[in-house]
Amino acid sequence: MSDITTIPAELGLDASWEEKYGSQWLAAGSADVRDIAVLMEARGARFVTITAQQVPDDEAIRLDYHWDLDGELLTFTIVTSDQQVPSIYELCPAADWIEREVHEFLGIDFEGREYEPLLLRPGDAAGVCRREEDE
Amino acid sequence: MSYRIPIGPYHPALEEPYKLNLVCEGEKVRDAELHIGFAFRGVEYLAERRNYFQVIALMERVCGICSNVHTLSICKALERLTEIEPSPRALYIRVIVAELERLHSHVLWAGVAGKIMGFKTMFMTCFLLREKVMDALEIISGNRVNYAMNRLGGVNRDITDPAAVLKVVDVLEREASRVIIPVFASNRTLLERCAGIGVLTREEAKAYGVVGPTARASGLPQDIRRAAPYAAYDQMEFNVPVETAGDVRARLTVRALEILESCRILRQALQNLPEGDWWGPTEEVEVPEGTAISRVEGPRGEVLYSVTADGENDTPRRVKVRTPTYANMPSVRLMLRGARLADAPLIQASVDPCYSCTDR
Repeated sequence: MSDITTIPAELGLDASWEEKYGSQWLAAGSADVRDIAVLMEARGARFVTITAQQVPDDEAIRLDYHWDLDGELLTFTIVTSDQQVPSIYELCPAADWIEREVHEFLGIDFEGREYEPLLLRPGDAAGVCRREEDE
Repeated sequence: MSYRIPIGPYHPALEEPYKLNLVCEGEKVRDAELHIGFAFRGVEYLAERRNYFQVIALMERVCGICSNVHTLSICKALERLTEIEPSPRALYIRVIVAELERLHSHVLWAGVAGKIMGFKTMFMTCFLLREKVMDALEIISGNRVNYAMNRLGGVNRDITDPAAVLKVVDVLEREASRVIIPVFASNRTLLERCAGIGVLTREEAKAYGVVGPTARASGLPQDIRRAAPYAAYDQMEFNVPVETAGDVRARLTVRALEILESCRILRQALQNLPEGDWWGPTEEVEVPEGTAISRVEGPRGEVLYSVTADGENDTPRRVKVRTPTYANMPSVRLMLRGARLADAPLIQASVDPCYSCTDR
């Protein structure tokens, strides 16, 4: 099993891992998701997916990046208020479809990538159906 | 000069709706574009408008083949949130139903692969075996497709006659050893049809986050039952078959061997089924605020559920579902590049795609 305790420091974070409901969580705050992807890839971790949801009573979007390291699920949480997050697609092709899906459903712009035609939603409108004000 | 062949979204070569645009040069596939979303039902959205008990029934409808995996995953996430631990008997019953479902899925896929290869006898043989698995599931649950077995903290039905299920397992193991394994392992026509096509290297599989038998056929020994055991898998002895060639033949071989491993797990679970209750809590359960994640090894690979509760309402705030085909399907593009056009149907089918799962 890999030692995960040094990961926050390697990312320049003051936070530490918190075990919640059987998996490890790290409030990644100011960390660049690209740095996280580079570090995880270097450690041999497997990208699993991103869970995106709107913060209650807020415009901000919470993104949970899930990685599997030797069978342990590690989740890096970031919150974006300006709807822009660097894309990790070029570093990690496994993130392609989920970035496109989050873009379609919540309007997050994953910077530095091209978008192919919409993955799940018909038509050409992106970022509308999963926001509270649209319900 | 290249030309484009659109296949789907509704096409006899596809088991479910999706769109595959093949860019070809002569008989070679130069590139492939994949489009999904034709079976999109907004299940995650619907889940946020149902109470926790309705959500379990809703999630059973994500997929018609691995329906149990979805209820198992969401129950596990909710049990983590509520800190409810199912009884040992319930955990064993969950293993039994999960492995029967894996058998059902793998045997079905073997039949479909046989059909695509023009091996109709194999198709008939596999579907006859599949009937026996469904009979076993019917003995246990009363249902042949959506078993409705999982509930918060337990299962909905007991296994009252393990010996009857064991008899079915005996038949399955015997027939798989007598027919499926020898055909997939040594039939010359079949091997020549499958060997060396649709190759996905270990490095590509890792980069694309591929899961399940598709990953194991590319040399990645990942299996959530082994890496992060749930239910009663930590008490089961089984091997995780791994092949390194990464081609269609390797994917066939891994699934064929997994049929035998599932029989082995079933035999252990049925013979050692603990005594005790199986139904879980009967009083009202409050789900506290927080996010819990569960992962389960479905027939096609890892299924992830992330459930967020606000602690106030009886509906989840967010239910995220990541299915195995969603992780595996992008890699089909790599498998198809450079392939013969005639091999494309078999290559795309070799990941055992499920678009009901993928689209949700």
